[in-house]
Amino acid sequence: MADHRESSTGGDPDQRRAQLDLHESREQFEATSEVLVALGRSSSNNDAVLDTLVRSVCRLCRGDAAMLYLADRDGYRLARSVGLSAEFVDYVDRHPLAADRGSLVGRVGLDRRIQQITDVLSDPNYGRYDYQRIAGFRSLVGAPMIVDEKVIGVLSVWRNEVEPFDDRMAILLTTFAAQAAIAINHVELVRALEARTSELGRKVDQLEALGAVIEAVNSSLDLDQVLAEIVMHAVQLSGTDGGSIMEFDDLEQVFAVRATFGTTDELLTNLRHTRIELDKTFVGRAALAGGPLQEPDLRGLPLDAHQAELFRAGWISMLAVPLLREHRIVGVLVVRRKRPGGYDDEIVDMLESFAAQSALAILNARVFRELERKSQELEIASRHKSEFLASMSHELRTPLNAVIGFSEVLLERMFGELNERQDEYLRDILGSGQHLLELLNDVLDLSKVEAGRMELDRSTFAVGDAIEYSLSMVRERALQQHITLDWSVDPVLPDLYADQLRIRQVIVNLVTNAVKFTPAGGRVEVAAVGTGSEIEITVTDTGPGIPEEDRERIFESFQQGGRSVNRQEGTGLGLTLSRRIVELHAGRMWLDTTVGAGSTFGLALPLIATTASVTVPTQYGQSDGPVVIVVDDDPGSLELLGLYLSGAGVQVAVAGTGADGLALARRLKPAAIILDIRLPDVEGWELMSVLRADPATSGVPLLVVSVVDERARGLALGAVDYLVKPVGRDAVLGPLARLGILPTNRLGQPLLGKGSPA
Amino acid sequence: MTAQRILVVEDNEKNLKLVRDVLQYKGYEILEARTGEQGVELALAFLPHLVLMDLQLPGINGERAFQLIRDNERTSGIPIVALTASAMKDDRVRVLQAGFDGYLDKPISVRALPDQVLQYLNRKDSPR
Repeated sequence: MADHRESSTGGDPDQRRAQLDLHESREQFEATSEVLVALGRSSSNNDAVLDTLVRSVCRLCRGDAAMLYLADRDGYRLARSVGLSAEFVDYVDRHPLAADRGSLVGRVGLDRRIQQITDVLSDPNYGRYDYQRIAGFRSLVGAPMIVDEKVIGVLSVWRNEVEPFDDRMAILLTTFAAQAAIAINHVELVRALEARTSELGRKVDQLEALGAVIEAVNSSLDLDQVLAEIVMHAVQLSGTDGGSIMEFDDLEQVFAVRATFGTTDELLTNLRHTRIELDKTFVGRAALAGGPLQEPDLRGLPLDAHQAELFRAGWISMLAVPLLREHRIVGVLVVRRKRPGGYDDEIVDMLESFAAQSALAILNARVFRELERKSQELEIASRHKSEFLASMSHELRTPLNAVIGFSEVLLERMFGELNERQDEYLRDILGSGQHLLELLNDVLDLSKVEAGRMELDRSTFAVGDAIEYSLSMVRERALQQHITLDWSVDPVLPDLYADQLRIRQVIVNLVTNAVKFTPAGGRVEVAAVGTGSEIEITVTDTGPGIPEEDRERIFESFQQGGRSVNRQEGTGLGLTLSRRIVELHAGRMWLDTTVGAGSTFGLALPLIATTASVTVPTQYGQSDGPVVIVVDDDPGSLELLGLYLSGAGVQVAVAGTGADGLALARRLKPAAIILDIRLPDVEGWELMSVLRADPATSGVPLLVVSVVDERARGLALGAVDYLVKPVGRDAVLGPLARLGILPTNRLGQPLLGKGSPA
Repeated sequence: MTAQRILVVEDNEKNLKLVRDVLQYKGYEILEARTGEQGVELALAFLPHLVLMDLQLPGINGERAFQLIRDNERTSGIPIVALTASAMKDDRVRVLQAGFDGYLDKPISVRALPDQVLQYLNRKDSPR
């Protein structure tokens, strides 16, 4: 289309001039576009861009050749060109331009602006006639390529005839030089970016590998697996061919291979049989120096035992990074190559991180091994102690039983009257024997608590009863010592759900101590109050009080105490045991004491809500009917069974716990007992055994009604029948009818009939 | 009324002597056995009214001896009471599950023993 326009326009010089301008502008535009397109197409390769640029500038400036020189350390080297002979290019390569005024390019670089030499042959300062002789150029023009105030190259054009370049061409060249500068800068930026990106990528890889290593260190206790992972990552990321991690043996002062990667089995075997000594090896030197050490080429060097094995297996270079922890040598990490060469800082830095992780892994594993060994030893020791205590207490108990038993026989006058002194001595023997037995029981209890084997046998009971019982144990002694015993129990105190025997044991211990340490004429007071969520029991005496330094110690077992607390015949175990028992009940014990005034020992037990305290004992039904006790802790079941039974003319007594059921059974002598297996305090099985064993209740028929489906076991324990919940009326009344327990109704029929609603 | 016979199976001499002396004092005729085997033998030979059986015995243990006495038709009706160590709560449940008629905790109480024995002897007449 342009050609058509050119040929169709006439011969007017101005018009031709304008057309030429237009043509040139278009050409220039197209060339610039071409450069831009090339620039856009290739971001990292500037060759195509620069070639386009050089070609375009040569054409647009009507030159015979165009060149792009890039500045380097001490001059300019030819980067791209058009219109040059291979011979000249080769010559320029070998004889580059200096940054001086002897060449146009040098001058452009120094003056930082466009320069022209109309005829090099008439320029007295021109210094590169060697070029001119080969290439034959005459007129030269050159423009600087400037980036950030710095000349990075020169774009120049020459003509073989003497013909100066006009202003338009100068502007064009300047523009193109600027574009070239941009292109080169852009490419460099892209390259730098790419380099940075790939460096970052490598760092990410490293961090990921390190992350994997750290995770392995933290999650796995299998040291060999962790170390294998570390050495694998270390070798892969450092771009080496193989490696190993060695652990340092402090005792032997040698290194032992723990994990390898890229290593043949043969070499591994050989390394395992090599004594890699701290003071005689390269790796030992690295460890002693406390930093990485490398050997880029093992060939021709005097080698230590370790290196000799490596070298024999074809390894040429190695890097050793010590594993250190607080200045102690833990081991060494080695990576190696099958070719000579050094290891750059980046690899060394990375391997130091890996080495730190390896050291940590090894130390973790050591600590764990040690802990495991210790805890095993402790476990064995503790088991031995428990077994010893159990067997000792049994061995001691047997003869003690004879001492107690025979004293009792004599004191009972079974074999004749005793004189006063004989009676007194026998009482001493009996008392001492019983005291020894208590001691033994305390020892055994304490060892049970400490072994975690004391189980609580909970039931519902009144705190007042426990206190009364405890005081009865010391009443005689208090009387002898003229000690006043006082007690008060909050009248609205709820029942405790606890191990009654154990709680009694605690209170007995406290009041016994109080009486023991209170001087004649003193006073011991026991009080129980409710605080809403707890029941507090306190035992206060008017004894000598307990000095500060002994206040904690008196709660400790005697084996832990150094000096003895004034232990008049005390076991030294009673308080320790008491505190443990209270703690087993989720309660706490404390001591308030004033030297010279007295002491108060307190204990607080949390109140545990049980249905038992709500439902027991309710009684309903006809007053003349047979009595049946229902032991169940589910209010729904109680109500339902109660309805069935009372409807059949039975008097029903209900109990929410096994203990209450047992107490009721002993008291009421029922015609039958219906019981659940899942009870809050005991299993129904146990209750059945106890009922069977107790002469007072062994004859009472038992009927199990439970969600627990273990019929065979129930029948084996002596149940007359075993019903699985939910149960209908007939199912419950049937067995009772067969036992002849149910009364007949007024019409003379059994109250139970076929077809009754279930 | 002739004296009731009680078989005591107990390997510890002192315990045996204590139980024997207390019960003899109360007028019972006592048969002594020091092993489980001996206990079974005496039970069959003399058909006692009550057996007091220690659990830890040389040879066959108390539970096995109990089973042999219980399984024999001639002695199956004799009440057998275990002598259990008071510290061993598990023992009590175990003996009751095994079918013993009851247990007496050791150390036995010299004062309580006669009453306890009497209770077991009387229960023999009531249906099991």
